Amino acid sequence: MITDWLDQNGDPEIKSFVSKNLAIVDQVHQVLADKEWSQADFAKAMDKRPSEVSKWLSGMHNLTLKSIIKMETVLGIDIIHTEPKKEFEYVFLGMVENQEALANQAVEYQESSYALAM
Amino acid sequence: MNNDLNINLKVNNIATIRLVQSFDKVTYYTLCPDNDPTSLFEQFVQNHTSKNKDKLNHILAWMKVIGDIVGARAGYFRNEAESADTSALPPKGVDREPTYVEYNDDTGTEEVIGNNLRLYCLRANEHVVFLFNGDVKTAAKAQDCDQVRPHFRLANKLTKVIDDAFREGDIKWDDYNEDVLFDDDLELLIE
Repeated sequence: MITDWLDQNGDPEIKSFVSKNLAIVDQVHQVLADKEWSQADFAKAMDKRPSEVSKWLSGMHNLTLKSIIKMETVLGIDIIHTEPKKEFEYVFLGMVENQEALANQAVEYQESSYALAM
Repeated sequence: MNNDLNINLKVNNIATIRLVQSFDKVTYYTLCPDNDPTSLFEQFVQNHTSKNKDKLNHILAWMKVIGDIVGARAGYFRNEAESADTSALPPKGVDREPTYVEYNDDTGTEEVIGNNLRLYCLRANEHVVFLFNGDVKTAAKAQDCDQVRPHFRLANKLTKVIDDAFREGDIKWDDYNEDVLFDDDLELLIE
């Protein structure tokens, strides 16, 4: 019923706002846990009051780009990725010499294995 | 007849439990008065889809995030206990800005304001929430608001009834404390 209502009536902006806000906060919480920083440590590093940082990390705050960048700078991470997405990228992994000989060996191996099994 | 009495009588002293929706992390239930095919949560959604669509959207979006991703942690519910351990959505921001944004026709800007629509509920644990009804709150205290007071009082009463049903074993937890078990024909008596 909840999902049906949202599918039929939901404002995609509200949905995106709630979920992205939460995703940002969860990401910051994860980095703080990795660094073993408390919210007070984080506040001190940003030169902010702990109550303000608590507000930012509540998942309820309308975060500004400025405050997101401040968090990114202090934590040394990219919360928002602005590089264009690539569908795929060719990567050179190296070359295999004597490809034909290797292929023949593989065929011979399969045939010999089959013969043994019989 | 005042509003409190009117809404209480609508419950007609007996209610059954009805599943609303089960998400990965949370299962939502509601109560259905025995003389009304429309559950309390359905009444809430039907009423506010026309009157307060964006505010309802904000609450339902939160419910989906809570259900899909974070679970029903206490911090995402506001405490609305009076006579029992009732909660409400959307999450509380005592001295925090809310994320509900509304367009101001006069100024032509998006403004962050509080979502004053309240959905009263019982957060049984991180995996199970019972949803009741609610309305737009127009006073600082629910007790002082004519619109939400009846829903607030009823929610507290229903919370106590459900708590008692747990205590008496009519509603039980499953082995993992992730869902509740009860007979299909279980009737909750509202005194």
